[in-house]
Amino acid sequence: MSILKENLWENNPVFVQILGICSTLAVTNNLTNTFIMTVALIFVTAFSSLTVSLLKEYIPKKVRMIIQTLIIAFYVIFVDILLRAYLPNISKALGPYVGLIITNCIIMGRAEAFAQSNPPILSFWDGFTSGLGYMWVLMIIAFFREFLGFGTLFGISVAPSGFTTWTIMIMAPSAFFLLGTLIWISKTIMLKKEVK
Amino acid sequence: MKKDNIVYTVIFSVVITFIFVFLLSLTYQATKGKVAKNEKLFEIKAFLNSAGYDLNTINNYEEFFNENFKEEKTNIWSTNKNGEKIIIYKFSGNGLWGTIYGVIAFNKNLDKIIGLEITSHSETPGLGGRIEEEWFKNQFKNQQINDKFKIVMGDGKGDFEPNDNSVDGITGATRTTESLQKIIVDAYEFVKSNR
Repeated sequence: MSILKENLWENNPVFVQILGICSTLAVTNNLTNTFIMTVALIFVTAFSSLTVSLLKEYIPKKVRMIIQTLIIAFYVIFVDILLRAYLPNISKALGPYVGLIITNCIIMGRAEAFAQSNPPILSFWDGFTSGLGYMWVLMIIAFFREFLGFGTLFGISVAPSGFTTWTIMIMAPSAFFLLGTLIWISKTIMLKKEVK
Repeated sequence: MKKDNIVYTVIFSVVITFIFVFLLSLTYQATKGKVAKNEKLFEIKAFLNSAGYDLNTINNYEEFFNENFKEEKTNIWSTNKNGEKIIIYKFSGNGLWGTIYGVIAFNKNLDKIIGLEITSHSETPGLGGRIEEEWFKNQFKNQQINDKFKIVMGDGKGDFEPNDNSVDGITGATRTTESLQKIIVDAYEFVKSNR
């Protein structure tokens, strides 16, 4: 339970640890893509943390990073193959997103920082909740970007007619501003709590 | 044996890599046929769509395709729809990040695009990647074309006027738009000199 709270808020991977920023900037101009991408990420973090934890007794220290990368890449390619075979439409819609999961430092971060020294089930839970922490932050950013940039939510038009879309919101820099604002808000709330 | 021993490290790395790659190959082999079938079907659908056939009225896409489409030259196909000959060209060309593949259908006189479908690309998702969205592709339906065909920067809502020799590009994806314009003009020129 405390792990859940920690990963969702106090130690959120995106706005406290500032990890996974590449994908935060790249994919969040559309809620649907963001959602599918983060679900795939949750799957990969959870299972790669589990696998790293199961194998941790046998992995030599010198090559542990390489082995972790191998495990992560294994799951990402595995997901990619399965999507291609059984959900071709989603696979087409996702395109390069799936492959990009490999480069997400949250997965590596959790494997190295947590799974390396904790039991399997706990590691699985930690990976899963870290993914959730990543997901909710991205969904908020995607909500604002899609709404202001396209006037739609999940591809459904919701803005009043005559609404001028903000082109900047479609481009990556807008995620910088939104993320900055979000970090600012969350830090303010956290500091207030600490004072109390 | 000690864990940091060099021999152990090497053996462990080899064995674990072998296991993971082996599992992946198994999955790949098991799904290979299905993936190939999906891709073939996807391409057939692109052909049918670009020529303007209504997919809802066709039961077996593959059968329909084999009966109605004829490959006249490499990558140039033709079909007869309601007595009108349609020429379909399977194109590929450089996008901003990688090759863009697709099919484009012209009318018999080569002055109108019947339809355009993108089958594969590696443009930026949400920016250049939007070339595969419906509104973008729909602009090409019945669009007049000659060698001065242009994709221009519009208001992002699409240009559905068929007689102006141009369609709207994608906001924020200037380079992809430019590349696609070149691909389409090249396709047009190629079909013109090779049909």
